[in-house]
Amino acid sequence: MAKVSSEGAEPFETDFWKDANVRKVWDDIVPGEPRKTIPYTLTREAIELYCKSVGEDHPIYFDEAYAKTTRYGGLIAPPSIHILLMFSCTPADDWMRSPGTVNAGQSWSYNIPARPNDVITLQARALDKFIKRERLFVVHDNVFFNQRGEVICSGRGWTIRPV
Amino acid sequence: MTTTFEILTTGDVIDGPSFAVSRESIRLFCDASLDYNPLHLDDDYMKGNFGKTNFGGIIMHGMNNFGLISRMLTDWAYPAGAIHRRLETRWVKPVKPGDVIQPTGIIKSKQVTQNSRWVLIDVMVKNQAGDKVATGEAMVEFPN
Repeated sequence: MAKVSSEGAEPFETDFWKDANVRKVWDDIVPGEPRKTIPYTLTREAIELYCKSVGEDHPIYFDEAYAKTTRYGGLIAPPSIHILLMFSCTPADDWMRSPGTVNAGQSWSYNIPARPNDVITLQARALDKFIKRERLFVVHDNVFFNQRGEVICSGRGWTIRPV
Repeated sequence: MTTTFEILTTGDVIDGPSFAVSRESIRLFCDASLDYNPLHLDDDYMKGNFGKTNFGGIIMHGMNNFGLISRMLTDWAYPAGAIHRRLETRWVKPVKPGDVIQPTGIIKSKQVTQNSRWVLIDVMVKNQAGDKVATGEAMVEFPN
């Protein structure tokens, strides 16, 4: 499968099987231990592609002249851009990419919007792990920051790990 | 009529956008989110069992539901000068190519705090059969 590349970044490995054997399995995941993360420059193109995928068409994401007239004073990304940031801010061996990882639900709180050209960093860790109805769960928590150290959003997710 | 905090009432409904799910829409979401989990790409892999579950084919990303609910909330909030502050969701049922899904919000309650005003919203996504595929709660701020 092809690799996706964005300007100034390492190509993104789209074959999630490739590094599967170096990722942590449920048994290895230590709640409280930070995950490795990488800074990511959010481009206008990446925002527009994300918008297209969910049908976002509000001009605040596309029309700079309009966006300048709003409370935000310029273009922003939709709040749910963290869906992309979760993968763009983590390396190929991150356990979130283990094939068969099933997302059971997530909760997110939004502080300020991400914007085009923001250099975004992630602080993330597993917070808890448990077994329920023979399924292996991991709870992960995540906070995204911009280049000024301001919190963009914070969230928690429940995943069922592949057996 | 423009939505204001004052006129909102418990039970008021927010209609979200209808979304046709296809193999192409799922592939586009892979490219846009960088989530290339084979659950969303690989039919052969999806013929297998996941514990007690067999999906029978690729499924849509759960977070595609989340993105649609978020789109509904922001498109509703922006004209009112309000801010989407929180969204919590759970996936109830897998969504597959050929499904048509639509998010809805129902105003649950309003709360005034020391410095601001908040609207709590029950959210859900239903498929073309009327089955709930995702449920959750949202919080929108109406600044003073």
